[in-house]
Amino acid sequence: MSKEFRYVGGTFPCDQALRKVTGDLLYGCDMKPAEMLYAKLLLSPIPHGIVKRIDTAGAEKVPGVVKIFSHFNAPHKMFNSCRIIPGQKFCIEDEPLFAARVKFAGERVAAVVADSLAAAREAVSLLDVEYEELPALLTTEEALNNKAVKIQPGGNLADQYEIEVGDSAPAADCLVVESVTQTQRTHHAAIEPHVCLAHYDGSGKLTVWTPTQGVFGVRSVLAEFFNLSYSKIRVIKIPIGGSFGGKQEYLFEPVTSFMAMETRRPVKLMLDREECIIQTRVRPAVRVKIKTAVSRSGELQEFIADTTLDAGAFTGSAVDYSRTLATKAPKLYRIPHYKHTGRAVYTNTVKSGGARGWGAPEIITAVEVHMDQVAKRLQMDPLEFRLHNLVYPYDRDPVLNLSLGDARVRECLEKGAEAFHWKERFHRHAQEGGRYRRGVGLACGAHKNGMYGGFVDCTSMTLRMNEDGSLNLNASLHDVGCGTATAMKIIVAEVLDLEPDLITVTEADTELTGYDPGCYGSRVIYNVGACAKETAEKLKDKIMESAAFILQKPKEYLCMAEGHVFTMEGTDERRVLSYKEIAERAIRENYTDLGVAHTYYSPSNPGSYSVQFAEATVDTMTGLTRVTDFLAVGDVGRALNRGMIEGQFQGAVQMGIGYALCEEVKINDRGKPVNNGFKKYHLVNAPDMPDVKVLLIEHEGDDGPFGAKSVGEISAVPTAGAVINAVNHALGTSLSDMPLTPEKVLAAIKQTEDQG
Amino acid sequence: MRAMLIEFKVNGKNYGREVRPTMRLLDLLRDELGLTGTKEGCAEGECGACTVIMDGEAVNSCLVLAPQIRGREIITVEGLEQGGELDLLQQKFLEHSAVECGFCTPGMLMSAKALLMKNPHPSEEEIRLAIAGNLCRCAGYSKIVAAIKDASHSADGGCR
Ligand code: FES
Ligand code: FES
Repeated sequence: MSKEFRYVGGTFPCDQALRKVTGDLLYGCDMKPAEMLYAKLLLSPIPHGIVKRIDTAGAEKVPGVVKIFSHFNAPHKMFNSCRIIPGQKFCIEDEPLFAARVKFAGERVAAVVADSLAAAREAVSLLDVEYEELPALLTTEEALNNKAVKIQPGGNLADQYEIEVGDSAPAADCLVVESVTQTQRTHHAAIEPHVCLAHYDGSGKLTVWTPTQGVFGVRSVLAEFFNLSYSKIRVIKIPIGGSFGGKQEYLFEPVTSFMAMETRRPVKLMLDREECIIQTRVRPAVRVKIKTAVSRSGELQEFIADTTLDAGAFTGSAVDYSRTLATKAPKLYRIPHYKHTGRAVYTNTVKSGGARGWGAPEIITAVEVHMDQVAKRLQMDPLEFRLHNLVYPYDRDPVLNLSLGDARVRECLEKGAEAFHWKERFHRHAQEGGRYRRGVGLACGAHKNGMYGGFVDCTSMTLRMNEDGSLNLNASLHDVGCGTATAMKIIVAEVLDLEPDLITVTEADTELTGYDPGCYGSRVIYNVGACAKETAEKLKDKIMESAAFILQKPKEYLCMAEGHVFTMEGTDERRVLSYKEIAERAIRENYTDLGVAHTYYSPSNPGSYSVQFAEATVDTMTGLTRVTDFLAVGDVGRALNRGMIEGQFQGAVQMGIGYALCEEVKINDRGKPVNNGFKKYHLVNAPDMPDVKVLLIEHEGDDGPFGAKSVGEISAVPTAGAVINAVNHALGTSLSDMPLTPEKVLAAIKQTEDQG
Repeated sequence: MRAMLIEFKVNGKNYGREVRPTMRLLDLLRDELGLTGTKEGCAEGECGACTVIMDGEAVNSCLVLAPQIRGREIITVEGLEQGGELDLLQQKFLEHSAVECGFCTPGMLMSAKALLMKNPHPSEEEIRLAIAGNLCRCAGYSKIVAAIKDASHSADGGCR
């Protein structure tokens, strides 16, 4: 497909992969500067209450303890964990370093800093806290109904909104279908637990090493919180052992910096798995009600959604997240009348936060489960029903008023259906009986490409050719493991026609690399990648100019290939210069440096699409579901690094199957998370995963580098919907209370049997 | 609790060390020997990030106490490379894009290595079972399984 390219579309290991397979790459847990202290947190065991008193006497006696912190000796100032610039919309500052009034079981109450982790742990276990318990509101219903208990000063409703486009005039004989889908809290489950290291040196400079997705946001929050000059704070992105949005927000940078500033020694805070589950962030639980009116021939007339998002105890990213739920369905379907009402509600539970897909997996799962119910009522193949309604390339997103660009969701569906043999399987499996029932399901998904149309989306970088012809690309990347650094190398290598291995790419460091709002929001390939391409083109120009000067030939007579610049065929004499010669002579003879700087402003924000097909086998005796076959189709514009893209989809499917079937951070009636470790929080493992096939649709119709669009988030959007639809197909049920645990599956089987 | 002296071998090198009876093998490797390639993801034997090979068997080093390795031989991810050359498994992980964030990778490699040491030509099912205790959140296992399969298809079964 991409034979006109030399590197684009090939398969390359991710940056640092060599150091990852040898165990040589240092992650946060491996870093140990001289004089480093270890911090350990004390977390609240109760969901709501006042921290009246902390007896530290026993803890202080533990040898090696340096200092103990709590709200009694820390600032009471608040911060917001996801705001990138001061004054940012929807980013209410309501999270403290340490709670004076705890608002969820798991909130930070105190911390011990000691010269060994063992000492810090022991001291934490000796802290004696007296709480005055307050009534806890554990569900959004309780929180909305109970006016007497206020989790935040303004009450329990964090935000509400209403969006409506188009006119309401469904025809009289329309079919009206209503559904309710409940999505659950999930843990991001990056295998690397959260970690942060900070040091405040004698000159008054704060340096923070953190596996973050946005160093400039971290710096801004720290500067405003501690009243430090931005120039006296250096935030360095270190290797990340997975994030999925879980490390996107600035959860521990403020508290670790505070402890480092107080002790004047490097302080490292490392979480264990339980702490990651109960006190970082969770994918929010969302209740989605959908009502559609559809013509008898299968055209959507009206789509009315209502969502209630459980924000947890603070604001964080919840308002933005909740509002984003309203922007997904109109990217996927043509809807003459669209209305979405939504709210985010504070509860005394673990804070919700950014998670891969930022609202799209939640709302799209509900939409796709609903669409199957409509198709069933119409007695239509779900594939046909979707073809009646999916968007076309260059449709307009009526909510955000943006072009959807070269939106190829229809092609994903049609090509995928063919490869999956959808029609035969859909009709065949519906007839099967017996203990093990098989079904197939499909789901479509839409996501975006960056922030254009709603938020800052620019990035700056420099590219320099060294004296030997190698390159240094200086960019604020935050590779979370999905290969963005390698993608940048591929782009630059393609433009300048040299081996990607000759390029070194930086990751983000506020002191050394250019401004970038952060690597999330599906903006990296589409926008940072486009910047890399333009930067490389700018450098190419400069190299050609230098070569022209050296050869004393007009630029127009020169061409570039395989690390050399040539005089073109047909010119009087054939001359060749290697990049090395050009770079050396540019400095020596032309007194110039082969370096360029570039800032790129994203001009568009098209849709990225994926359609996924699942086969599920349900054991009707045990209620256990296995996903036995899976195809993920992606509208990726252009594949830059094929192997990594396939891996992104396969990993997304692992996450999506868990979302559909088993993953949930459950909170008991006393407000405590019950599955606080991997023993009780189950991730799908290798024997339970199908071999996921991946089919890529490439059209390069949009502004990304060589046409490339985002992959990492869209890949995770339709998975759960496809799996749930397959289970419902197998059983003839309409399950929509996630996850589909064996108990729920058995109950649904019993219900259909009773009815039948 | 008295420290005890134990002798053991790690990556072909003999060691004698005083250890506390409650020290985990994971901490001995990471904190005492500086072998930080072995990772900690859960501390309860569920994620496999801490997998090392003990006398030919893959074990979770977060569940093994340091005194238990007395007289035994441990291989960690740092011991895979021999004479400056990557182990075939490491090469195949690179070739097959089986490495994303890399945090599960050392443990994955060690489970795979232990499998190939015992069974040079495993079936796909045997491969999946051998890494059943190694969680990967990034890659969905397909590429990892393909890499292990490819390594096993080579003449020497990926083992030296
Ligand atoms: S850290 Fe040992 S199995 Fe997870
Ligand atoms: S590569 Fe990230 S957990 Fe496996």
